[in-house]
Amino acid sequence: MAVFDWLRRRLGSGRDQEPDAEQLAHEEALKERLRDRCRRFRRLLSANKSALEAMSDVEEHLLGQRPFGMAYVQAVSTRAVSAVFRMVRDLNGLSDNAYLSLQTAFDHICKDMQARLTTTVSTDGPLVLPLSAIDLKDVAQVGGKMASLGEVAAHVGLEVPDGFAVTASAYYRFMEYSGLRAELDRRIQATDMDSLDALFNLSSALQNAVLAAPLPPELESAIRQAVDSMLQRADGELLLALRSSAVGEDASGVSFAGQYHSELNVPIEEACHVWKEIVASKYSLTAMSYRYQHGIPDDEAPMCVGVLAMVPSAAGGVVYSQDPVAAARGKEQVLLNAVPGLARGVVDGAVTPDTFVFTHENPPRLLQVKTGSGKTPCLAQAQAIALAHVALALEEYHNEAQDVEWALNARTGRIVVLQSRPLRAADAAAEQEVEANAEQCAQEPEAPPATPELLVSGGVAVSPGLGTGQAFVARKEADMLSFPQGGILVVERALPRWAPLLPRAAGMVSETGGMAGHLASVAREYRLPAVFSMEGACAALDGVGDVTLDARRCTVYAGRHFRSADSQAETPNLMKDSPVYRRLEEVARLMVPLHLLDPESAQFTPEYCKTLHDITRFCHEKSVALMFAPDSVNQSLGKQLKAGSKLQYWIVDMGGGFCRRISGPVVDIAEISSAPMLALWDGMVAVPWAGPPATSAAGFMSVMLQSTMNPDLESTAPNVMATKNFFLISDTYMLLQARYGYHFCTVECLAGDSNHENFVSFQFKGGAADARRRCLRARMVADLLERHGFRADVKEDSLFAVAEDFPALEILQKTRLLGYLLIHTRQVDMIMLETERATALKNKLATDMNSFASRPMPGR
Amino acid sequence: MHALFVDDETEFLELMQKRLARRGMDVAVAPNGQTALDMLDATLREGGEPFQIVVMDVRMPGMDGLETLRRMKEKMPKLPVILLTGHACMDVAVQGLDLGAYDYMLKPVAISELLVKMEEAVRATA
Repeated sequence: MAVFDWLRRRLGSGRDQEPDAEQLAHEEALKERLRDRCRRFRRLLSANKSALEAMSDVEEHLLGQRPFGMAYVQAVSTRAVSAVFRMVRDLNGLSDNAYLSLQTAFDHICKDMQARLTTTVSTDGPLVLPLSAIDLKDVAQVGGKMASLGEVAAHVGLEVPDGFAVTASAYYRFMEYSGLRAELDRRIQATDMDSLDALFNLSSALQNAVLAAPLPPELESAIRQAVDSMLQRADGELLLALRSSAVGEDASGVSFAGQYHSELNVPIEEACHVWKEIVASKYSLTAMSYRYQHGIPDDEAPMCVGVLAMVPSAAGGVVYSQDPVAAARGKEQVLLNAVPGLARGVVDGAVTPDTFVFTHENPPRLLQVKTGSGKTPCLAQAQAIALAHVALALEEYHNEAQDVEWALNARTGRIVVLQSRPLRAADAAAEQEVEANAEQCAQEPEAPPATPELLVSGGVAVSPGLGTGQAFVARKEADMLSFPQGGILVVERALPRWAPLLPRAAGMVSETGGMAGHLASVAREYRLPAVFSMEGACAALDGVGDVTLDARRCTVYAGRHFRSADSQAETPNLMKDSPVYRRLEEVARLMVPLHLLDPESAQFTPEYCKTLHDITRFCHEKSVALMFAPDSVNQSLGKQLKAGSKLQYWIVDMGGGFCRRISGPVVDIAEISSAPMLALWDGMVAVPWAGPPATSAAGFMSVMLQSTMNPDLESTAPNVMATKNFFLISDTYMLLQARYGYHFCTVECLAGDSNHENFVSFQFKGGAADARRRCLRARMVADLLERHGFRADVKEDSLFAVAEDFPALEILQKTRLLGYLLIHTRQVDMIMLETERATALKNKLATDMNSFASRPMPGR
Repeated sequence: MHALFVDDETEFLELMQKRLARRGMDVAVAPNGQTALDMLDATLREGGEPFQIVVMDVRMPGMDGLETLRRMKEKMPKLPVILLTGHACMDVAVQGLDLGAYDYMLKPVAISELLVKMEEAVRATA
């Protein structure tokens, strides 16, 4: 009561009387309370901005148009959580801990988010499993490649090499034992994965860390014992093939073609060391880039390794049980690629393989043979047919087309299956596209319109399409760093190591390789036009500048000859539905949705805060209410604005908002020095308001009906509309909370020296007419603001618009536009269903707003 | 602004010291939590120029960032401390903020963004 007595004395004493020392001390104490309140409020607003930024960043990433890793999901979640925690803390500071239950809501949400971000890994399983004990049910422990090989041996009766798998449990135990997991996480999180330079450094550091880490003794012992058992079963000398079999390689939509390392001809003494090399290859540039582009988290891809007896190979290769190109023509055929020696020659794309085509029937019949690098085929006809049988048997067992890697044992003459996996649907679709394009080309003999200079032609279209860009011949790994964005990659051999460049390329040409190679698969995943086995490409394209690659015709022309729209098929969305994407979706559900829309609702409480957005909304609303509460501080420090207006404005100066000390209860607009308030005011008075629009009977009835139903519109009831219109100001800051007509609005502006901090935001809700008309008005205002650089969000009749990160002058110009709209959109909701009048109104508002561009800003 | 950076990555400290000096800041560095606490003690004891803000890593050998923060807040409750780490972890962030950190930021951070946050923290706790 003392405060109010003092206030009454002050108001009664007139403004010209000098204050006494007691009054000054009291005023200073109140100001100190206001400053403390303002500090907390500013902190809360800053945290609010950070939280909303994090949420809109999440929404943008959920469009799935650019890659991101788990590091991003962790980071954005942490950013949002940190900001919201700060808001809760400051709201409780502002309110003397009136909202402690908000902390409980926050803790629940955090716990849920954390659960969705944590991968639980098991180190308790067996460290090694013999191949004879493995089948498809063991895929989580041994990876897809080894599980499938075990299945082939156990249930199809085909020959596979002797061997065992080093399991996912072994991998996790190694990572935990050496402290690698935490160290790798830390390094990955601190790296900009979009920078090839940074990825190079990271890859090197991580691989070195893995290679330097010690093996747990029990793992080393388990591997040695398993190798000793193989040695006992082997007839003579035993060499090993260590093949990567990472979990997730067989996930839907990813091929992982050639991304991980396999090592052949390994002496048994080196098994443990080579196992580490293969684990390290998980962090090769190629593999990390691939996982990043495809949204596969590091933790969800434990590296299992197959340790197999080396097959002395007379020939090797890949057989497709269904040739997808033939399938596109309505024919069922088996396609076999073969090279002399190891199968690696086919999958690595290092040589051009022999090709055999068979009928898809039992027994298969040979239709066509095409030799690759050699003069004669590396397989006899009977051997080739036997391989077609193997492919058909595996297809029948799995009931879907298979991609089978095989070797022909030079000693026994028997076929050994090295790998069998479903022929990827993406491959099949892309190859159908190759075929469709080839047919289209046959009907369009004249290639590009201007008959440009042909630089090189020939080879196999492994991925269809048109690409234009600067030709870049890459010969060594270091060349990757200078590869131009959007260039045409030209290489001598189609090795998987070039895969990291494919997302940056507009096309690719290789002098070797075929359809079944790893790099060809990756090119198809990225829908990158690519031609392999194009002889003489490096010499023909070195230093020629811009070129056009027509993969449909296997030709490269000098210059750019296609419009960009023709040149690139739609970029595939590799992130959507990936594991990382799904994790982000899950945490986004706890961050982004807003349920607390109406502050007047009984459900606008901490208990109903289900997301971080709900908490930010609650904190913001309550903090604004606290700041403008008609309490002792505001009543004492608030000044009534004298500006010849009928509207009642009360102004609280946080510091620097008035030109001089104002001792009386009234302040003149000429005494204001707050740049944002002056800008807003300038917009409010720039164009005289013509009054509310004439209303049709329907519009009028809508208002009448709302007036009877909405308690806030009942003039005698104590309600939120009794709230005064308040300005909280400083020299560079302004917050207005006001009621205009039947709608409520908040304008907030910071226009200081730091562009990064500057913003102006506008919220309004409500109106006199029915919900449909109110929503239309909100949409109209949003449209108008979006034309002037605001980001606007409309939910029902609520509008939130913000412009940020602009220099102060631009922020003030936008604030002036808001001042204009505040006045001129009053009561216009009533005419929003009258299309012509609504359009005319919108046009007039837009014209007036455009005319403000040439108006000088007010200022002192 | 007189700032103290605490981080076990000496390269990072050197880089920050140079870059912030170019922007007119006076930056002292400490390679671990204990040294940072000693430096704060020295300013209190000997009356040197007080630090206006501390920017500190979380994961450090010996005394980690959270424990260092707790001890700093015991000595100087109003000193703004920003945790700046390569370790994005919600639990650690909440613990740090609960102990009184002004904010929890993640590396890599743009120098301009860090500066804005430092200025904001100093203003907000002034």
